Amino acid sequence: MQKTLKKYFPIFVLPTLVAFAFAFILPFVMGVYLSFCKFKTITNAQFVGLENYVKIFADRDFLNAFWFTIRFSVLSILTINIFAFMLALALTRKIKGTNLFRTVFFMPNLIGGIVLGYIWQQMLNAVLMKYETTLVANATYGFWGLVILMNWQMIGYMMIIYIAGLQNVPTDLLEAAQIDGATGWQALTRVKIPLVMPSITICLFLTVSNSFKLFDQNLALTAGAPGKRTAMLALDIYNTFYGRMGYEGVGQAKALLFFIVVAAIALTQLAVTRRKEVET
Amino acid sequence: MKRKTAWNGIIFFVLCILVVVFLAPILFVFMNSFKGRLYISNAPFALPTEKTFAGLTNYINGVEKTNFFSAFGWSAFITVFSVLAILLFTSMAAYYLTRVNNRFTSGLYYMFVFSMIVPFQMVMFTMSKLANICRLNNPPGMVLLYLGFGAGLAVFMFCGFIKSIPLEIEEAAMIDGCNPLQTFFRVVVPILKPTAITVAILNAMWIWNDYLLPYLVIGLSTPYKTIPVAVQYLIGSYGAKDMGAMMALLVMSVVPIIVFYLVCQKYIIEGVVAGAVKG
Amino acid sequence: MKKRLVSTILCAVMTMSLFAGCGRKSENGETPQNAAQNTQTPQENVNQGNNQNTAKGQVYYLSFKPEVDKVWKELAQQYTNETGVPVKVVTAASGTYEQTLMSEIANTEAPTLFQVNGPTGYQSWKEYCADLKDTELYDWLLDKSIAITGEDGGVYAIPYVVEGYGIIYNNAIMDEYFALDGAKASSMEEIKNFKTLKAVVEDMQSKKDDLGIEGVFASTSLTPGEDWRWQTHLANVPIAYEYKDKGVTNLDTLDFTYAENFKNIFDLYIHNSCTAPGLLGNKSVDDSMAEFALGQVAMVQNGNWAWSQIADMEGNTVTEEDVRFLPIYTGIKGEEGQGLCVGTENFFCINSQASPENQAASIAFLEWLFSSDTGKAAVTNDLGLIAPFSTFSETEKPNDPLAKEVLKDMADESTTSVPWHFTSFPSIRFKDNFGAALLEYASGSKTWEQVKKQVITDWAAEKAAVAQ
Repeated sequence: MQKTLKKYFPIFVLPTLVAFAFAFILPFVMGVYLSFCKFKTITNAQFVGLENYVKIFADRDFLNAFWFTIRFSVLSILTINIFAFMLALALTRKIKGTNLFRTVFFMPNLIGGIVLGYIWQQMLNAVLMKYETTLVANATYGFWGLVILMNWQMIGYMMIIYIAGLQNVPTDLLEAAQIDGATGWQALTRVKIPLVMPSITICLFLTVSNSFKLFDQNLALTAGAPGKRTAMLALDIYNTFYGRMGYEGVGQAKALLFFIVVAAIALTQLAVTRRKEVET
Repeated sequence: MKRKTAWNGIIFFVLCILVVVFLAPILFVFMNSFKGRLYISNAPFALPTEKTFAGLTNYINGVEKTNFFSAFGWSAFITVFSVLAILLFTSMAAYYLTRVNNRFTSGLYYMFVFSMIVPFQMVMFTMSKLANICRLNNPPGMVLLYLGFGAGLAVFMFCGFIKSIPLEIEEAAMIDGCNPLQTFFRVVVPILKPTAITVAILNAMWIWNDYLLPYLVIGLSTPYKTIPVAVQYLIGSYGAKDMGAMMALLVMSVVPIIVFYLVCQKYIIEGVVAGAVKG
Repeated sequence: MKKRLVSTILCAVMTMSLFAGCGRKSENGETPQNAAQNTQTPQENVNQGNNQNTAKGQVYYLSFKPEVDKVWKELAQQYTNETGVPVKVVTAASGTYEQTLMSEIANTEAPTLFQVNGPTGYQSWKEYCADLKDTELYDWLLDKSIAITGEDGGVYAIPYVVEGYGIIYNNAIMDEYFALDGAKASSMEEIKNFKTLKAVVEDMQSKKDDLGIEGVFASTSLTPGEDWRWQTHLANVPIAYEYKDKGVTNLDTLDFTYAENFKNIFDLYIHNSCTAPGLLGNKSVDDSMAEFALGQVAMVQNGNWAWSQIADMEGNTVTEEDVRFLPIYTGIKGEEGQGLCVGTENFFCINSQASPENQAASIAFLEWLFSSDTGKAAVTNDLGLIAPFSTFSETEKPNDPLAKEVLKDMADESTTSVPWHFTSFPSIRFKDNFGAALLEYASGSKTWEQVKKQVITDWAAEKAAVAQ
């Protein structure tokens, strides 16, 4: 069968491959090369070696964005997953109206980044008005605003995944634990959580990559204000490309670094949690 | 048992409060969209009164200023055709990659998986300039770009599923005289439906809400703005000038999504779970 | 069931895609009545890439003022009607001109006509500016010394408008104040320095209820992107004096010697207005002009371009006779002889990398704008610009009160206008950072010392960064 199928390569694979090469492979390879160049348009670039990378570490805004992103991601990952898991526990308890709750909590996830950012910008400004201040007056407000926004958007999504994971826990195991005299807490930590590990893997992976790569909401909520202090890495890279002449090479270098960091974190996280997964 | 019901009661109460908290931002924007534009910033939490009620003026302004219906049309066009393109072409590619085993196909498969981790910023500048040079800065061009960039996840999911389909069914079809194309469409595609729905939903959600790619490729100088680009253009700078139109615009952007969600809720949630589990 | 779902969705999509058609026409500068005449143009504009009118060339103008977007688009349409040359006008969102230009200029369909803000802007865009020395437009320029020239003597950017700014005040409210018992002055003529201004303003603020206003000054808009009145215009005053002291028109390192004076007037603005200082991060320029137009405040700092925002405000209570300008006093010695700040920040450039036909077409468009009757009328009346060209006669100057005040100030021998030196500020990023620092100062998270220090360090750093 393989032989006949092979002849059909152009029909089956070519369209996707062409689009993929054009939209991804080519830009990616060019990007890597260009990160070592100084250029304005992609056709006239001069090779400058590691100069761009050196400039990155002297860039105050970049370092600030880097720390901001890390603080933001760690905090969001913890809060989102803990809240989502708690909600999942609550909604697997056969309470009235579970479906309604599920619908409402998941809905924010569907709303696009830009629109979401502006909705929360208005809400937060309205609240802060009572305290005679605004969202862009202080970088801390922007930070917490983003955390709140991220939670609002992602908790529902993670909750659904946890619910699916919890529903897969065999009830006989839970009953056995109860017979053995385990308390609710022990049943939770010794039985449920280990068996839900695959869901935890996925949720962690999704929250890590979404938090790190956040752009649209960042742009809409504060656009980095005050100054550039609430800009996360993705926004900082965008600003480098389009904010100042002559820094496109630096922007590309930052993007490459960004990619390496994201990939490293995601892969490490996957490896660690997969090892903890228990086969049912 | 009694303890459990007591707990359940408390949990129910907490959940109800959370529902209000979750819906608050949307209700806030909705309420304010009916207030006159000069009255919003002073008392954002007040309900519209006789004096401040502005009827549909904000909506009319919002639509006019951003050409909302046009943006809506383009968003719809690009999303639907991109999703259809992705479904059709990536499923075929995944089928080939799974059924034909050689170094080339495995290499290609890993490249697709690799692309899922790469953040958009890495390719955004080069991709947008390439697209501009090749005159792809129009809706059909966008469909091509989304097909390319969305191929990673789609191929990954389809491959995962196809691997689990037993070869016997296809071999039987081949014996009956079907060529691979016929085998694919008559035998494999019907089985693929659940995965296809998942892929469709995940991609639709992403493409409808995407801002950066349309902004860089289509941008401001072509008449093809999508909803996120139009919203950013109005609110990103003008916004403070007409709060009423801004609120109305936000509501209008959210309503189609909510409607779509309420109608297809079951599929969406199932799709999301399936997508995550496969990952 | 699934089949029906699919077919309903497809039908819905096709209907929704029809929406894409609406409004497409008005995107390209067409008004509804012109749509009938120019059935060709939408198609042309959509297929930008395919139809290059090689003989006539085409124009693509990137504009920076959202407020006048419509005016430019109508003008473009009129030009196309007269000459058949397509003119595309795109307006960058407020505060994003530089970014948008950077993005657009590298495209195959790049803008053929764009702006720079002065010598600093020219430095960044040198490679894209064509030499305009031999054009009629340059010939018509009244004061050729303000055009931007390169080292080779070529002329690369031509200023197209002269503007002035200061403190706009509502004379009716001021007269009401002067009539009160215990007023700190008896007429505007007495306010010739910061000390008197401060006394009057603070007294007015304490009596604001008697005067029926909500504050003396309009909101000091500090929303990012809306803060240009402070980080650029206001900053110009102390820095112009520093330049004068040192006899230069540019500096690589700034001492910000008159920082205290900036603080004087800035504090006056934020502590005597209708909005609490902490809330200024939400206010836009439009909000401020509305407050002034509706008579809620007595003073607002802005320039003559703001007249249309006052005049067009629904429910405005300010009359043309009552709108006047006051110089921006900061407490610097000798300021009694200071006039308004007059100069230009808007220079047209032609894209030297566009095709020769397009460049010629763009120059022709500009020359039409500043010499034809339709063009001049639009420039003077709709755009409200004081254009520095010999093609404009005495009667063809804008009629609005603010423009008249600026012209009066320019002609006044007893006062010296403060020149516009912010064209030599290091970069846009410098100005944005300055604005952000002011916002933090206003909300109390930064002290003035910190702001001053930031300005000095940032100035030197940005000058170095741009020089590379």
